[in-house]
Amino acid sequence: MKKLYILILSLIPLMANASNDVTQLEGSFKVGPAIILIFILSLFILVGLLFRAKDTTDYYAAGRGISRVGSGMAIASNWMSAASFLGMAALMYGTGYHGLSYVVGWTGGYVLLLILMAGQIRRYGKYTAADFIGDRYYSKTLRTIGAVIAILISIAYAVGQFGGIGLMFRWVMGIEYNLAVIIGGSVVLAYTLISGMLGVTKNMQIQYVIIISSFMIPLFLLTFKFDYFWLVPQIGYGSAVQDIVEGIQISEKSGLMNSLGHHFAIVPSPEYAMPWDPSTGQTFFQWMAIAFSLMIGTAGLPHVIQRFYVVPKARDARWSVVWGLFFICLLYWSAPVYSALGTILSANPEVGALSPDAIVVYTAQLGDINPLIVGLLAAGGVSAAFSTTSGLLVAGSSAFAHDLYVKVINPMARPKTQMKVARIGTLLMAVIITVIAMVDLALIAQLVAIAFSMAGCTIFPLFLLGIWWSGSNRAGAKAGLIVGGIVTLISLTYLVGARAGWTLPYNDFITYYLGAWYFAWIGAPLAIAANIIVSKLTKETPLEIRKFLIEKVHS
Amino acid sequence: MEKEDYKISFFKPTTQQARKNRNLIIKLFVVWAVAIFGFQTLLKIIEKPVPEEALITFSSAWENIELGHATQSDYQAIAQSMIQVMGKITIKPDHYAALKDGTGWALSKVYPEDALPALEQDIRHLHELRGQITSLRDEAYLETKELIISKAAPALGIGEDTLLAQLLAIGLDDNLQRLSEENREKIPNIMGLYLTHNRSFLTDAVFLGFPFHYFYSAVFLLAFFIGLCWIYCYRTDKLHAKLNFLEQID
Repeated sequence: MKKLYILILSLIPLMANASNDVTQLEGSFKVGPAIILIFILSLFILVGLLFRAKDTTDYYAAGRGISRVGSGMAIASNWMSAASFLGMAALMYGTGYHGLSYVVGWTGGYVLLLILMAGQIRRYGKYTAADFIGDRYYSKTLRTIGAVIAILISIAYAVGQFGGIGLMFRWVMGIEYNLAVIIGGSVVLAYTLISGMLGVTKNMQIQYVIIISSFMIPLFLLTFKFDYFWLVPQIGYGSAVQDIVEGIQISEKSGLMNSLGHHFAIVPSPEYAMPWDPSTGQTFFQWMAIAFSLMIGTAGLPHVIQRFYVVPKARDARWSVVWGLFFICLLYWSAPVYSALGTILSANPEVGALSPDAIVVYTAQLGDINPLIVGLLAAGGVSAAFSTTSGLLVAGSSAFAHDLYVKVINPMARPKTQMKVARIGTLLMAVIITVIAMVDLALIAQLVAIAFSMAGCTIFPLFLLGIWWSGSNRAGAKAGLIVGGIVTLISLTYLVGARAGWTLPYNDFITYYLGAWYFAWIGAPLAIAANIIVSKLTKETPLEIRKFLIEKVHS
Repeated sequence: MEKEDYKISFFKPTTQQARKNRNLIIKLFVVWAVAIFGFQTLLKIIEKPVPEEALITFSSAWENIELGHATQSDYQAIAQSMIQVMGKITIKPDHYAALKDGTGWALSKVYPEDALPALEQDIRHLHELRGQITSLRDEAYLETKELIISKAAPALGIGEDTLLAQLLAIGLDDNLQRLSEENREKIPNIMGLYLTHNRSFLTDAVFLGFPFHYFYSAVFLLAFFIGLCWIYCYRTDKLHAKLNFLEQID
């Protein structure tokens, strides 16, 4: 024990290596943050081992013994990914008010989820989205397609997470981005294989507390240091936003500096707060389309919907949404604070171009916060990405092993073979995600928004109509999926085309109106319309399904 | 509709509970949609493109320059406006480069011609130092920056202790007289792009320190969503209790 103390004491000077003797914010291996990162990840595994699920049923039903508040924390932990932790501030840092469309979209969607689905999904009583689709639409084919879509959504969602992990590993280790993605990806894969099945609700609650604490602590310090109302930074930063709009002269905040030695000052920058400012290149239409797409995507994401199966009653499912949204909002009220302070602290052109996705960490670094606390913040970002990625990999590999392999390919498979297939699925997904993340297609939150639009175009219409209209039948579901799938395919083709430098027909028109982060604004209504029209023209839903809907879901 | 039909439709509820639940959902949905999309649409309807003061100053001075009867204060005015845009966080690199040329050119018009080579030499030295230093607090680097500020800022009518002076020192190129035709044409558009903003009484009003519309979207709406969810759960619980509605579980 004494040796451990000596080791820690000897590391303190290295950990507390302040950042004020540099010309840039990246570049070197950061001992303190690295130790904190390893400590927190080890803690998650330890907690997982202590509260280990005994079997698959226990894993799925673990939440059925916990309170609504606890379940709300689990929902928040499951939800808070790198896109929330790092991506939200990044969007507002780059595009100002436009970034708030993501904040509104990702929180407003919970209202839809609650009033339209939560209780009904719980009463339906299936464990996965593919289970629901296959059962409600009495089709093995649709079940398979549902599983494939769940895997694709998991991959799209996880690409952004790997990007976030790569950025944080690059920051901590001072290495090149692609290498950081490979190392980070390998670590998250190992973490998932060790702790995947340990990711039970208890672990999620503890993850939430760590993630939110690491996000909040630097905020109090930053607002205190730069003379804003620090007791409630989520309100106190309002003056910082107004300061950005009006500008801060050197004389106004004399003596306040960033860690590189620049005054806490900024020229008047109304573009930061004014709606759809021309200089950001974003429009009113895009604001609305993004908010709408994210909302319906939220109500259609498999791993979000899945959370409602693990509460004791439908009533608890509803109340857990209220608590879950409250805990999520704590983070979403806070993310813009980093963006506002980061904008002022990095306003001097000498700071150079910063990666927006790492602005949360850069803000704390530029604010000259103790490196250990900055390290805690980075560890929080990695933890958020790890917890979500781990859940996504488990969900994706379950769909691969359970919904595809066992239900479709080999119904006689033994549990041992199932487990092997699940592991192969996890590995395959991790490799695919790593490769896509290395292409660096867009900002983290934008990559995650693709998953939401995919879910909005495909799964959301199936759930919405499946629950609320018994007339929606197998043929209608297939038609809706085809339409939603085509819209998704067109949008993603143009996204990849733009990155590859291809000139596709009607390029400007399609990339604007079917943007990859918001194509669900039109894809979802079209899919719903196709579902209704084809359902009306084809054979009625079987009696036993309609009876089940009446007796189990709506009575 | 007979229960034996076993047909469910959101718009045609068959029980009292379902009817009340549908009505509650519709009410909350309408309030939700108006709060989000209604407010943004209102913002869009009432907004007006408003130029910053710097753009008004720039436009008038630039016009004088184009007409060929510019005074020293016109060059100072366009330089000050351009430096202000160069300090914006959202500026694109090619726009920054064009304004850098424009600022240097405006400075060359008001700076003593025989002293220009010495100033250019100082700027070159600063750039060389920037590539060598390990800290932005490096003494030689800071001294050179201060030297440039002391020479260039007064010529442009900028106070030496101001933010604009700091931005000027790092925003000059060592070829001050160069301004390409292409950049000359681009500059007015760049200035218009960064100095015009969509504003209205909702963006200009201040609430708890925030511009009102920003507070509404970033803070209020989130709390409002939680409130809507709470109301739905509370009303549903009340309704179920009133109708003795027991939810089945699997």
